[in-house]
Amino acid sequence: MKAYQDDIAKLEQSDTQVLGVSVDSPAANKVFADQIGVKFPLLSDFKRTVSKEYGILNEEKGFANRATFVIDKEGIIQHIDLGKAAIDPSGATQACSLLEHKRSSQ
Amino acid sequence: MKQRLLAAAAVLVLVLAAPWAAQGTELKVGDKAPDFTLLDTNWKEVKLSDYLGKKNIVLAFYVLAFTGG
Repeated sequence: MKAYQDDIAKLEQSDTQVLGVSVDSPAANKVFADQIGVKFPLLSDFKRTVSKEYGILNEEKGFANRATFVIDKEGIIQHIDLGKAAIDPSGATQACSLLEHKRSSQ
Repeated sequence: MKQRLLAAAAVLVLVLAAPWAAQGTELKVGDKAPDFTLLDTNWKEVKLSDYLGKKNIVLAFYVLAFTGG
């Protein structure tokens, strides 16, 4: 999550909101956010419903696998990183800047 | 008999394929993102639909708090 915080300026430039999601409780996420200096919202999927709906719940272990989805302003998925690829935010950052570029040239 | 065998084979294929199917998301680029309502660190509800028409969203799922990455 820290890597996404480091890219936040670029992401905000392309009119993007970052939302972190895990199955941790809001209380645990608050401590975690403070600890690593993350300023964007960390959301709690305590019931695992959203991880399941996005198809990335690890049923065996009960937590979400690492994944990043870029969703445009119309609610359409524009980019997906799964597993280790999702640790590095550069793919998502690039996808967002492309989205804004497309929008501004329309 | 032959039909039964075929049905059994089909079931076997499904059972064997299931663990791989469960590995990744079924969602693809171009799909509509499922809406969600989740709690932020102040126990306030955050919805995907709050941002529609306003912001692009980077929805970053992480495994667990207090782990790296």
